[in-house]
Amino acid sequence: DALPRSAAKALDADKVCTSCHDSSYPEPVLDIYQTPHGVTGDPKTPLCQSCHGDSKKHIQDASVPPDVVFGDRATVKGIKGRQMIFKPSAPSVQNKECLSCHEGGLRTHWVGSQHQVNGLACATCHSVHLPKDPILTRANQREICFDCHKEQQADSHKFSTHPLDAGKIVCSDCHNPHGSTGPKLLKKNTVNEVCWQCHADKRGPFLWEHQPVTEDCTNCHTPHGSNISPLLKDRPPFLCEDCHNGPHQSSDAIGPGLTGSAPNAPGRACLNCHVMIHGSNSPAGAFLHR
Amino acid sequence: AMPQAALADGDPGAAALINPDNYVEIGGIFTSQDSSKFGEYNGLDKKGGHVLGNFSVSGGDSYAEKPGIDRWSIYGNNLGTDSRQVGAAVSAQDKWSFSIDYDELRHNITDSYRTPYQSSLGGNTFTLPSNFGTIDPNGTASLTANQLAAYHQMDVYSKRQNTSISAGYNFNREWNLKFDYKHIEQTGSKLISSASDSISDGLGENVAMLLTPTEYQTDNFNLAVNWGSDKGFFSAGYYGSLFHDDYNHLTWDNPFLNVNTNAGSSPESMSTPPSNQFHQLNFSGGYFFTPATRLVGGLSYARNTQNESYAGTYTPGLATPPISSLNAAVIMKHADLKLSNQTTQKLNLSAGFTYNERDNNTASAIYPFQTIGGDSPTPVNIPLSWKHTQAELAGSYRLDDRQHLHAAYNYDKFERWCNTSPALYAAGGSQPVNGGTYPTPTSCAQVPKQVDNILSLDYRLMATDTVNFNAGYAYSKRNSDVNPYFYNPMQSFDEGFENMGFLAFFQASRKENRVRMGVDWQATEKFDLSLSGKYTQDDYDATLGVQQGKSSSINLDATYAYSEKATVSAYATVQRRTRDLTNGQGQYPLQPLTALWTNNLTDNELTLGLSAKQKGLMGERLDLAEGITYSLGKTDYSTAAGANYTCVDSTTCGVFPTIKNEMISFRISGGYKIDKASKVMVGYQYQHLTSNDPTQYDYYQYGYSATVLPAYLQAPSYNQNLVYVAYRYDMK
Repeated sequence: DALPRSAAKALDADKVCTSCHDSSYPEPVLDIYQTPHGVTGDPKTPLCQSCHGDSKKHIQDASVPPDVVFGDRATVKGIKGRQMIFKPSAPSVQNKECLSCHEGGLRTHWVGSQHQVNGLACATCHSVHLPKDPILTRANQREICFDCHKEQQADSHKFSTHPLDAGKIVCSDCHNPHGSTGPKLLKKNTVNEVCWQCHADKRGPFLWEHQPVTEDCTNCHTPHGSNISPLLKDRPPFLCEDCHNGPHQSSDAIGPGLTGSAPNAPGRACLNCHVMIHGSNSPAGAFLHR
Repeated sequence: AMPQAALADGDPGAAALINPDNYVEIGGIFTSQDSSKFGEYNGLDKKGGHVLGNFSVSGGDSYAEKPGIDRWSIYGNNLGTDSRQVGAAVSAQDKWSFSIDYDELRHNITDSYRTPYQSSLGGNTFTLPSNFGTIDPNGTASLTANQLAAYHQMDVYSKRQNTSISAGYNFNREWNLKFDYKHIEQTGSKLISSASDSISDGLGENVAMLLTPTEYQTDNFNLAVNWGSDKGFFSAGYYGSLFHDDYNHLTWDNPFLNVNTNAGSSPESMSTPPSNQFHQLNFSGGYFFTPATRLVGGLSYARNTQNESYAGTYTPGLATPPISSLNAAVIMKHADLKLSNQTTQKLNLSAGFTYNERDNNTASAIYPFQTIGGDSPTPVNIPLSWKHTQAELAGSYRLDDRQHLHAAYNYDKFERWCNTSPALYAAGGSQPVNGGTYPTPTSCAQVPKQVDNILSLDYRLMATDTVNFNAGYAYSKRNSDVNPYFYNPMQSFDEGFENMGFLAFFQASRKENRVRMGVDWQATEKFDLSLSGKYTQDDYDATLGVQQGKSSSINLDATYAYSEKATVSAYATVQRRTRDLTNGQGQYPLQPLTALWTNNLTDNELTLGLSAKQKGLMGERLDLAEGITYSLGKTDYSTAAGANYTCVDSTTCGVFPTIKNEMISFRISGGYKIDKASKVMVGYQYQHLTSNDPTQYDYYQYGYSATVLPAYLQAPSYNQNLVYVAYRYDMK
């Protein structure tokens, strides 16, 4: 409903729904008036029927579903994971209602994005009737994402992690789940541009660059969690030997109990000396020592 | 006249739902043990008491059926710890909005670090006591009494204080302006190793663990003007990021000085991250030809620069740089375009491309220096550049109301070159500098081009109203062009030699197969179960280097709602990853089979979780939540060597000790309602971590080696008991 109207008119119009879906209704309905969707003084704020359709049959017979039923079709769950009374509408039907106002911006690349082609509806993640949509709350967001992303949930319990559990970083600090031009739904154009938001010290440009660093931080790091600190895919010296064979004794077999085995494995291994591994700005740093 | 309480008429419970949820919590948290690892990010690194303080208060004339559009809120979390956050927001919906947020994060790195250096956290100068003397790396691993007496413990941490401001203004229904600003004030230090060389065998680098200061300030800005209508949308914006490092170098006394004639100098110096700037212009938009056919795209242009002085970043006398600062400039470009069509409900089609470029325009020059091994190379800095082109054709087809098919073809090309100064490499070409020439723009990249072709197919099936199934397969083949003219200017140096035939894994030709599958079963209204898994295998086509990588995971998840107010959930995730590496012994262009050796990485991870919630106990007064999490990570490395090696210790014979981290956490919390507005909350958590990595930590212990200044770093195992008690007052 885009026409100018008063808050009273909006509330009155909503009464066709709220007279039944009152505070005694088990699903949170009236809580929506605490959210931006319930600011009835704003003429752009939708009425119940703006999103759910006129639902004339439902009004006449409560056993008939409204025109548009929001929820996760894959798990047939609604708000707070409750079993739904009605089967949710097709994601495309649900999403059309949301996108009628929320086109562009973060949703620019929704069509064709991983979540769209996998059949997700906006309501799979968003609970717009709750006073605070859990996915927009930093303390709760990861739990919503972990509903599907079980590997990332497991990663978050590993020895080396970002401060996800402390709520200091959330999935949407790096990802745009609505679609993006970057890899893995990242919110920036490249992996590195995402990492530089907080790690600008790694941005350079350095006098002596390290090729994998300039191309993709995830050549060496795994951002969701690792058994090897700090968030490494492999530990030195083998992390380095995944790309180098020849410098010093790196070409010698490295392992305890072998003759001729190179001595450079303990501690930080190669990084005992090649400390400026992200790049060096010292004229004496060509080997990333300085 | 306004009708009074339209919703609340005859519905006394409505007021509680339409007024904002406001609360204040005050209490205490008590921990039983000092542990930098338990308190790595949560501010609870020290045992004892911490104040618990949280609040959230909102208001405005748009709540509770009032006719306005104004809202405000203030909030605070974890106020008694170094993990605190406070903020406020105010808005007139559809007109303007403003918010401010302050957030602290102290990253506790270690509490076992011991050092003889007289330095402060966040400082860049590391001096030894005047009576410290020197350490003889050719002698024993013992330290003198004076040296031992100089040791002291330091907590190592790096703290971030983030201040964010966001604002928005809507000019009208079509135009709006958005602004975001974030200031990150970072203080403290991180561990960094340092090396000097007083031994002429090329192996005996002397290592001292130092602290590199993280005295940084980062300012990130985002300003965008947006337009939207029924026919499309457009956005133009500027993103700026200014990074400032208070230091450009650190210096340290070299305790291994003057042991023999090959000793280096003291104090030694190294660089720290240079202050730098990133400015980016962004444009994006979309045009709807029809409701079903749309074109979206974007352009970005960015300039990343730094001109930090070299002064202090190298030891005087060892090198004379040709210029005093780099004046580096990298241009980053981006373009994307995507056409999509949803003409029918059944068929969605899309075609798109993405282009990213990093063009390093930094000038190159010769930088003579002396390595810590005593060599004197005269290398030239190589400005690395690349461009990445991706294209996608994709289609989704709804076979029927229950089945979907998605197919895609992706083309992915990555190209590399270097903007080495022509005058420089032309001159080098005629001069036998270090036994060769300097790399040209085309000879600097070992793999100047790699092309990946990817086919993927995904299928979704709603088998019944309660069973959903999905599966996917992707095949990827990457062909890399290995440069026959590739030139490594450091090939003549021990530190820079690379065996021919060796390719870094991220640029080697490889085939990849990916399979995934998942099923979700809503067995009853109360019980649901899901099972999913995936498997990836990479086979590399490289004589030397990574040969194969595999990763797999299986996830099982179940939830049982055994009553309207109680649920129990459980999950299990098993992950396994392997990597096979083949290397050649010695510095030979072609490796004899006897000289080859392999290394295998196996990473096994198990994560289990069990949680339960009960609401409305004791006459609707008590809510409880319990949870147990267990995680076990084991990383194993084993080296198998060719005939050139023999086992001198049959118990190990190339097998490293397992890197093992095992964590169990149990927590229980409850909230008891005293009355309608008051609640007492009590919680207990037990968390135990066993962390084990002798290959890493033994190195830093006293007596391990005379070439290492002990730092006494320890694996951060802990046994933590945490109790909290808080009083919450809810306001409506």
